[in-house]
Amino acid sequence: AMEREATDNRPEPGHSSERVDSYGFERPCDFDSYKEMMNQYVGVLNRRSMRWSRLLQQKPEVEKNLTVKRFVRKGVPSEHRAKIWMAASGAQQQMESKPGYYQSLLAMEHDTKLKETIHTDMHRTFPDNVFFQSHAEAGLQKVLHNVLLAYGHHNQAVGYCQGMNFIAGYLIIITKDEEKSFWLMDALLGRILPDYYSPAMLGLKTDLEVLGELVKAKAPAVGQLMAQYPGIWTLVVSRWFICLYIDILPIETVLRIWDCLFYEGSKVLFRVALTLILHHQTEILRARSLPDVCECFKQMTCGAFTMDCHAFMQKIFTEPGSLSMSTIQKLREKCRQQILEEESRRP
Amino acid sequence: LAANRTYSFKVVLLGEGCVGKTSLVLRYCENKFNDKHITTLQASFLTKKLNITGKRVNLAIWDTAGQERFHALGPIYYRDSNGAVLVYDVTDEDSFQKVKNWVKELRKMLGNDICLCIVGNKIDLDKDRHVSVEDAESYAESVGAKHYHTSAKLNKGIEELFLDLCKRMMETAQAEERAKGNGASQSAATRRGVQIVDDEPQATPAGGCCSSG
Repeated sequence: AMEREATDNRPEPGHSSERVDSYGFERPCDFDSYKEMMNQYVGVLNRRSMRWSRLLQQKPEVEKNLTVKRFVRKGVPSEHRAKIWMAASGAQQQMESKPGYYQSLLAMEHDTKLKETIHTDMHRTFPDNVFFQSHAEAGLQKVLHNVLLAYGHHNQAVGYCQGMNFIAGYLIIITKDEEKSFWLMDALLGRILPDYYSPAMLGLKTDLEVLGELVKAKAPAVGQLMAQYPGIWTLVVSRWFICLYIDILPIETVLRIWDCLFYEGSKVLFRVALTLILHHQTEILRARSLPDVCECFKQMTCGAFTMDCHAFMQKIFTEPGSLSMSTIQKLREKCRQQILEEESRRP
Repeated sequence: LAANRTYSFKVVLLGEGCVGKTSLVLRYCENKFNDKHITTLQASFLTKKLNITGKRVNLAIWDTAGQERFHALGPIYYRDSNGAVLVYDVTDEDSFQKVKNWVKELRKMLGNDICLCIVGNKIDLDKDRHVSVEDAESYAESVGAKHYHTSAKLNKGIEELFLDLCKRMMETAQAEERAKGNGASQSAATRRGVQIVDDEPQATPAGGCCSSG
């Protein structure tokens, strides 16, 4: 039932239950613009789908090379997405090397506090998705609960951090497989992302500062404006990073970003943020107060610019200009040190 | 002259996850209640304009993430607050304990200048109550806070809560003003974010600054 063709899903005015996208999300407000985009995008999807099938026929192993990188940047078709994510991130290899491990995590005695914390977020994870609603038949809430509980015991330093519920949810929607979702969580939190979710959230704080530095360099006027409001990056973009753009950008766009995230690493998160900010410089510079800035950052993630995922993905590799991993690494080290020094000075 | 002034207050909502902080703000500022809302991860604020005994009050109400580790992102939400609304769920004893931690933290960071409210939310679920009314009220009194019972779902107690809080914050601001003497350029109040400005129409951010097409 999950594999529903978006193109077959004709909206009937007045029947809100029909306004559901191919991932199960109800879209009462933007279904028509979503449909319109998908009708355009279907041509790209078909073309990419053929190319990918041919590539995977020739080379069933997903390699790290320029051709595959180019292919990933142009989008992984949904039928190959789980496989490519698993292979590119090393999750497949981990899963194969530890058979039965996931099940053993579920079978062990569980931390009551952790279980309760996860439980609290069950009805607050995608209540607008027909598969995650508590009354859904063969609903995914139980699967979601399992993946988060297993992960919390697997990585006890992190346990459960809010935001992980949305990430696990997307993984479940795409892989339709509990164990694969667990290993992709492991790849993301253990290898691809810095320590965003640990209790001190140091990796997240660092990346917010890194983004601030990049903005200062690439759009000095915006950097100057933001500097008037201490702590503002936390207010306007922490969710972008914690949720890896879930519920910030349209789902199709988020999945295209995740294609690159699994294949190329966390740098793409900065490309997306920078593109959004650079593209809306004029609007940001018009802001006269903190509420103005917050509103502007909310608005800039909506509309045609981010809905058209194919064009948006081309933009993120051109608009911010060059952005090397070594630049990011250096900035991360510098900002991390600054934060630690500042915190050690605090009483 | 005083009658022509506008008070601007910052109020922060704090409390454990899932006690109803977002629902309280949404009910108060937009008169909405949504059973299907998602976990709050990023602090945000809504504004409300009031007129109390002829004086204008602009409230900025800050909603925060409930999970403790998000406080690592910085104390900026409550740093300049004039008031704090500490929310617990009347059916959840743990959430009331969390309120006690918040009282300690805020008194330590902001002293006695901040007006504290302790709010037992979800009284529509009173049959499952796990926090006794007497305990909650006597605790609130012992720490100089006012106690309220609310239901965001049924829209009960919320108007009273914020109206009372505003009156208390106005009294605090007026007392500070008197203590510093009128016209003192940099009073503690202005440093803390109480802006008592001459009343003139302000450029409103309504509609936002970006036209999304």
